Amino acid sequence: MAMIEVSHLQKNFKKTTKAPGLIGAFQSLIHPQYQTFEAVKDLSFEVPQGEILGFIGANGAGKSTTIKMLTGILAPTSGFCRINGKIPQEDRKNYVKDIGVVFGQRTQLWWDLPLQETYSVLKEIYDVPEKEFHKRMDFLNEILDLNEFITSPVRTLSLGQRMRADIAASLLHNPKVLFLDEPTIGLDVSVKDNIRKAIAQINHEEKTTIVLTTHDLDDIELLCNRIFMIDRGSEVFDGTIKELKGQFGRIREVEFELVDSNDGAKLDYSTLPVPVEIRQTGNTVVAKFDDSLVSVPNILKLTLAQVEVKDISVKDADIEEIVRQIFRKEAQEHEQLS
Amino acid sequence: MKRVFRLEKIFIAQYLKQTMEYKADFFVGVFGVLLNQGLNLVFLKIIFSQIPKLDGWSLQQIIFIYGFALIPKGLDHLFFDNLWAVGQRLVRKGEFDKYLTRPVNPLFHVLVETFQVDAFGELLVGVILLVMTTGTVHWTWVKLLLFILSIPFVTSIYTSLKIGTSAMAFWMKKSGAISYLFYMFNDFARYPVSIFNNVVRWIISFIIPFAFTAFYPASYFLTDKNIVFNLGGLVVISIVLLFISISIWNKGISAYESAGS
Amino acid sequence: MSSYLRRYRPFIVAGIEEATVYRSNFIIYLLGNTLGAFVTYFLWKAVFTSSANSSLNGFTFPEMVLYIFLSFFTGVLTSSDSSTSVGDEVKDGSIAMRILKPINFAANYFYEEIGNKIINLGLLMLPFFGGIVAYQILGQNAPAVNWINILLYFISAIIAYLINFYFNLCFSFTAFFFRNLWGSNLLKNALVVFMSGTLVPLAFFPAVLQNIFKFLPFSSLLYTPVMMYLGKYSPKMIVSMLFLQIFWLVFFIVLSKIIWYFAIKHLSIQGG
Repeated sequence: MAMIEVSHLQKNFKKTTKAPGLIGAFQSLIHPQYQTFEAVKDLSFEVPQGEILGFIGANGAGKSTTIKMLTGILAPTSGFCRINGKIPQEDRKNYVKDIGVVFGQRTQLWWDLPLQETYSVLKEIYDVPEKEFHKRMDFLNEILDLNEFITSPVRTLSLGQRMRADIAASLLHNPKVLFLDEPTIGLDVSVKDNIRKAIAQINHEEKTTIVLTTHDLDDIELLCNRIFMIDRGSEVFDGTIKELKGQFGRIREVEFELVDSNDGAKLDYSTLPVPVEIRQTGNTVVAKFDDSLVSVPNILKLTLAQVEVKDISVKDADIEEIVRQIFRKEAQEHEQLS
Repeated sequence: MKRVFRLEKIFIAQYLKQTMEYKADFFVGVFGVLLNQGLNLVFLKIIFSQIPKLDGWSLQQIIFIYGFALIPKGLDHLFFDNLWAVGQRLVRKGEFDKYLTRPVNPLFHVLVETFQVDAFGELLVGVILLVMTTGTVHWTWVKLLLFILSIPFVTSIYTSLKIGTSAMAFWMKKSGAISYLFYMFNDFARYPVSIFNNVVRWIISFIIPFAFTAFYPASYFLTDKNIVFNLGGLVVISIVLLFISISIWNKGISAYESAGS
Repeated sequence: MSSYLRRYRPFIVAGIEEATVYRSNFIIYLLGNTLGAFVTYFLWKAVFTSSANSSLNGFTFPEMVLYIFLSFFTGVLTSSDSSTSVGDEVKDGSIAMRILKPINFAANYFYEEIGNKIINLGLLMLPFFGGIVAYQILGQNAPAVNWINILLYFISAIIAYLINFYFNLCFSFTAFFFRNLWGSNLLKNALVVFMSGTLVPLAFFPAVLQNIFKFLPFSSLLYTPVMMYLGKYSPKMIVSMLFLQIFWLVFFIVLSKIIWYFAIKHLSIQGG
């Protein structure tokens, strides 16, 4: 049986609409007008135990709303989700013992107290037995390196330390499912890397099922076996990274800094089987292409053979770009149909 | 139940540790409350310098009512002050999410999370005033027992009003103003209800029953009259109010919409 | 002048918009505070009923009624809380966003509040001030309406508002020492309410206290304009009271500049 089962999940919000200006404000006070807004539309999927699911979508796509229904914070308008055999909204208190939740933008740590105080309170809240607690702390310490700052007040921790501490807090009661909402947001590259390693290790050693939302494609690439993408509340993709690339390709950009700006005109990619878009501003040339069709090394080789280059940087397209692309494609298909 | 006390204890300990990080705040809070109450007393003194009795009540008696009012008010302030945050911030900013992901009753969790030491000012003034005016009451053992028993019921009126009004935030996002409006009726409670007109008297007796938080019970202790209305009414109103406010709260939680996308 | 106005207009507009958004909140808070005024009214009514004299310390009951509701109205009129966050913003460095704009720092808060006030007073003026005037016309033995006193009242009340604005600005810097804003505000409000005559007219205090309170800045915040409305001052007193108000206004403007100077130094040291 799947660890997470989501069936026809739907969430509508009522929004008050207000005409602009004073009169509008007055009208809405006397006679408010409502509009229904579908934040999540008829989502169904399953996640087997031990899987890391990357849950992605643009801002406002309905990611957080879905996560909040899965974690029991919001009640669905219709449909249901069942996690570890339990419906979150039915027996919330019992259910949340099975899950750990980290919201990257918010902390559940006690701001003014040394970090370890948070853990001793959470121990009580989750009723973790003394012996179990020490074993657990040792394990989390080993993975997340908490020892170096466990006696410092939380407000003095760096963002990366705080995130490690928050993840440890969500794992203290040994949950079966871990929800991570933007766990690497705002962190620098090496810290991101540490966090990802820790997440992978936890998943590997404890078979914890993980649902991860992120804007960072590297998170997905390094951690997730599977991607579930939504936009405007509906599913647009469900599959592996490879399938995503195969289906939609992947736009990448390589930026070259030229020694001589006049060299820009010499660049010629017409020998390649796919189109490469070139943009030049001053000494900088950006080549944009689909890397499922032509590899980055190929582009580099070809470029270096043609011009003299001072510096190179390779950039990823972000989730937003992929979603945009998917939608362009859907719109085209729609046009062709009609 | 044992778990409830253990959690309460650990939260109080945490909160005290937190407060000790900012000692100046502790003193400014307690001193603020002390000064506020002290000036209220000066106000009463000034009023009584003009008249011997206010509508038949002596200064001593009014001070007793005042002191009685401060004990449950201080207890509510001490233990349950976090409810204000629900109406002002927690719901609007989506911070209430946290309580819903914990295996503890959210209302209980919100309640135990703060321990507002400022309230020691109110409790201290309350006790001093009661001790000062204890001579105005004809004490018996039964009365002393009733006095002690009435305190949790009065505290519950304060807390229930805060639970009910802060729960409005689940629909309105922000309900601090409503809690404030209700709380302001509290000012009426410290004076004999006979000085108000009928409408006000009716409101503070039965709609926002603050008269039961001070004047009615205190007047029983002072005059030995109307135990059924003054204390019986307190018990009934307090239980009914608690029941209503908890059902509003529970309805509110299922209407909670969180924040953000 | 016109370029000056053009520069600050966006702040006034922002204040107005904010006030409309939080309209219902404002009305509810106002209702809450009105309740306080009614408690005081009933209390004084009982006091006058219980007293053998028809006038207490120079106040008849109708005058007292006017005093209670006028002091309430004046309290709303002169209230100023836009600057209460300045200290906090300096402490945590977020003031930087405001300093970056090429305008005077205090003006930032001031014009936002003016926008807010235009709306709030527009709402308040008719029911409250109208009510007060109506009481004077219709009430038994009520003091007659005196337009010169009303004019003096508004002049004095505007100065009172300005004093209050700069006083609160200075006070907001206590955020450097206290995190418990609830506590420090309670402390401040208790003192202001008492010494400004909001709770009880200063005339009811013992002579020694009265004389001290009269020269402290707090009476300039409320007692002075209300007494002008009631026509309790002689022409000579009126002039000296207005001068005292202006003195305190200048005092708090200068003080806020001094504190600001040192606070900004602190900001650059901390690298906020």
